[in-house]
Amino acid sequence: MAGEVIYEVKNVSKRYGSVVALDGASLKLHAGEVLGLVGDNGAGKSTLVKVLSGAHDADGGELFLDGKEVRWHDPRQALDAGIETLYQESGLAPHLTVSQNVFLGREKFVKGLLGKLGFLARKQMEEEAHHDLEAVGIAVPASNRSVSQLSGGQRQAVAIGRAVSWAKKVIILDEPTNHLGARQAGEVLQIVKAAKAKGLGVIFISHTLPHVLEVTDRVVVLRLGKIVKDAPTHLFDGDTLVAMITGTITELPSEKKSQ
Amino acid sequence: MTDSKQTLSVMDRARSLVGNQTSLLILVMIVLSIVFTAFSNGTFLSTGVFANILTDWGGYILLAVGQTLVVISGGIDLSVGSTVSLSSVVAGFVMVKVLGLTAELKGVDAWGVLFLAALISIATGLVVGAINAVLINVLKIVPFIATLSTFGAAAGLAIIISGGMPMQGPSDFSLINPVRIPGIDPLVFDTGLFSPMVLIMIIVTIVVGLFLHKARFGLYTYAIGSNAFAARAAGINVKKHTAKIYLVSGALSGLAGFYAYVRLGSGSPSSGTGMELYAIAATVIGGASLMGGIGRMWGTALGTLILFTVQSGLLMTGVATDWKQIIVAILIAAAVAVQTLQKKNGAR
Amino acid sequence: MKRSLRTIAAFGVAAALVAGASGCAANKQITIAFVMGAESDPFFQAMKVGAQAEAKAEGVKLIWQGDASHYDVATEVPIVDNVIAQKPDGLVLIPTDPDGLQASSDKAVAAGIAVANVDTHVTDLSKVVTFITGDNTDGGAKAAKAIADKIGYTAGKTYEVVVGLTSATATTNVARLEGFKAAVAASYPGIVIKDVAYSASNPQTASSNVNNWLTKYPNLSGIFAIDGTNASGAAAALQAKGLTGKIALVGYDAYPANVDLIKAGVFTALIAQDPAAEARLAIKTLVDYIKNKKSPAQRDVVIPNVTLDAMTSASDLAKYTYVATK
Repeated sequence: MAGEVIYEVKNVSKRYGSVVALDGASLKLHAGEVLGLVGDNGAGKSTLVKVLSGAHDADGGELFLDGKEVRWHDPRQALDAGIETLYQESGLAPHLTVSQNVFLGREKFVKGLLGKLGFLARKQMEEEAHHDLEAVGIAVPASNRSVSQLSGGQRQAVAIGRAVSWAKKVIILDEPTNHLGARQAGEVLQIVKAAKAKGLGVIFISHTLPHVLEVTDRVVVLRLGKIVKDAPTHLFDGDTLVAMITGTITELPSEKKSQ
Repeated sequence: MTDSKQTLSVMDRARSLVGNQTSLLILVMIVLSIVFTAFSNGTFLSTGVFANILTDWGGYILLAVGQTLVVISGGIDLSVGSTVSLSSVVAGFVMVKVLGLTAELKGVDAWGVLFLAALISIATGLVVGAINAVLINVLKIVPFIATLSTFGAAAGLAIIISGGMPMQGPSDFSLINPVRIPGIDPLVFDTGLFSPMVLIMIIVTIVVGLFLHKARFGLYTYAIGSNAFAARAAGINVKKHTAKIYLVSGALSGLAGFYAYVRLGSGSPSSGTGMELYAIAATVIGGASLMGGIGRMWGTALGTLILFTVQSGLLMTGVATDWKQIIVAILIAAAVAVQTLQKKNGAR
Repeated sequence: MKRSLRTIAAFGVAAALVAGASGCAANKQITIAFVMGAESDPFFQAMKVGAQAEAKAEGVKLIWQGDASHYDVATEVPIVDNVIAQKPDGLVLIPTDPDGLQASSDKAVAAGIAVANVDTHVTDLSKVVTFITGDNTDGGAKAAKAIADKIGYTAGKTYEVVVGLTSATATTNVARLEGFKAAVAASYPGIVIKDVAYSASNPQTASSNVNNWLTKYPNLSGIFAIDGTNASGAAAALQAKGLTGKIALVGYDAYPANVDLIKAGVFTALIAQDPAAEARLAIKTLVDYIKNKKSPAQRDVVIPNVTLDAMTSASDLAKYTYVATK
């Protein structure tokens, strides 16, 4: 099912002052795989996301994309390398339109001298944004509408749609189903499955464990900045996942049986 | 849902009325003009008065234009008034003390050196803008404090350079006088509304407005003011763009300093005194939000026009100009109230 | 916050200049602080020249302070309070507002500092050693005469004039306007003061006011520009409209640029003060008072204003023209 290792993290650490947010975390993400990343508040999930997406520089450790070592100093570099991220904090600019958000940082310009001066091909971007979002299964209202006029679910759909339509290799989704109703969350999970089918590597971070169990192939559990478990999803159930996150168990019952 | 049309509240009506900021500002302009015309026995409604308003507008508009960019990006630039003083003084200093030119050089003969003066003024403004950018980006000082520092430093430097006195140099007052269309009898219809300098200011405003609303420069400005985190996550170099915005604001203030020089025929260390507050007021009246992400160049242009319509109108109606500050305060409060209504209405 | 930063900026400017002026330190040297209105005003620059010269002659240390550009009570009060903390022997104070600076003045006296007022004064002068001013009321009257002469005043005819002020409360502005009004009422009843307007220390605003007046009063005969800022703005507006010499313009303060414009015919006359003489006398009086603990024979001294016009000799023009500090 899963392909080659596409994105690898080796022994990454990050501290904020005296607080150790990440302590030697290592994981591998395969093409066409959905990897669940779970952990309590403060376990280091958001820090790991920021290191993976280039928003933060790690203090130590290595990143490999397609087997080649990479270093990000800026989100731009990660974006250019094909890694899209949906941040937990809103990654959209509310005062901009849907299409402006979809194309932010990757604008299309009019032809000729005006284009060289940075004049934008607004109509073209509006049409393409609409088309691209539809292609990943998101029905958005007119793409020239301001994001501040959209509902919470619509905003999230736009943000995910943007990430999926631009991603070339990896897509990182930090709490994509937060604050969504059951139907909207279901749509998000469909998008995740579609991204996986396209052969993208997906990192899915969520507190909503049923969603994790439904959509992921493998689960990585973070506790106090360390990766304490990395196992196929089918080995977990709701109770064992909670127990693993809180630290009441350190081994899965299935593993005990097999020993 | 179905009976919502019948139960439109007063608030709803107010909201739909303010839906379009530009038409509201034009409405304010028309109402003010009618009131001032009525109370000045008709003298307000003349080409001469509007030419005066436009001359004032030309002096302040570039500060308001720069301020609009800064405010949309979520910052503030308090240094603009002092930058006007400093750049007009530096231009005067170079012409008088460095090149040894005097006020004897007048009219068309002065155009060459006046063009040089314009470049010097813009360069001076760019330096202030660059210092603002360094204070904000490198030293991580919040824009309010950073530009407050340059505000004081530029004012002080203007005094030191000028010795506290206006420096009279080459001039051409015809550049600040409204141009009449030849062939039309000014007694029948006075076509003298725009001076060459005002026309230049209008062109600069339109150009910056196009870059704000149609180009990537503006898109990034809105994005940073709307959600700086999202802008950075989308790969925008937020620091670099912020620096550009303060540089543009500085350059525009420098050009406004040149305008002050041409208008007064001298570089005066007090030519920018107090201008920053009117620039911010014009921007807010024009609909920009000090929270960032919101603002239109049209609004700022009209907001500035309204400010100086009030100033001229009060003088023409014989109302003490002390009322200016009170009316400006009311306009600012009204502009913010309109913004709040629009927010509730969900309109952009 | 804004206020304090302005102060810091002003301090920086002043400190640099004071450092240069206070080279001659001696034991038990008398220190005189001088707090003026706005560093950017040439009037105070000229005053500074006189103050520095007198301080050097008397061998006293001079602390020169004031806001960089705002003639404003809000910025002046903290500056005065700061100066008092430095415990000078004497304080020459130019209050930007008579009531607003009263408390600071009283505080200085209570701290044992001898206080002199120059140009403008605090409301209660009883504790002040000396008050030295240009005769602003007389200056206003001189301006009225200059305008009347220029327009060829004829009894029975009416003439429209306007007055450009900087603020409604500055005592010099008030005194000049009173003198102007009194002279008009007494000698030139045909002159009608149609309007007054304020420049808020900005010559561009002063110019704008004149532009609007020219539109509103097509028969305008004269303009009294009550200080240097208004004089600069009015001169520019008249030149731009090609009205040089067609409207009587009487300004105040002998900025070099404006003195040049007398010759060009833009100014009918300039009423000049002698700020340097005022500053010299203030420092001399304070030093005498501190050394001898004796009040001067005459507390309030009025230094007359002079009219500079096309008839004034070149040497007098040079004498009264404000000189910038080096």
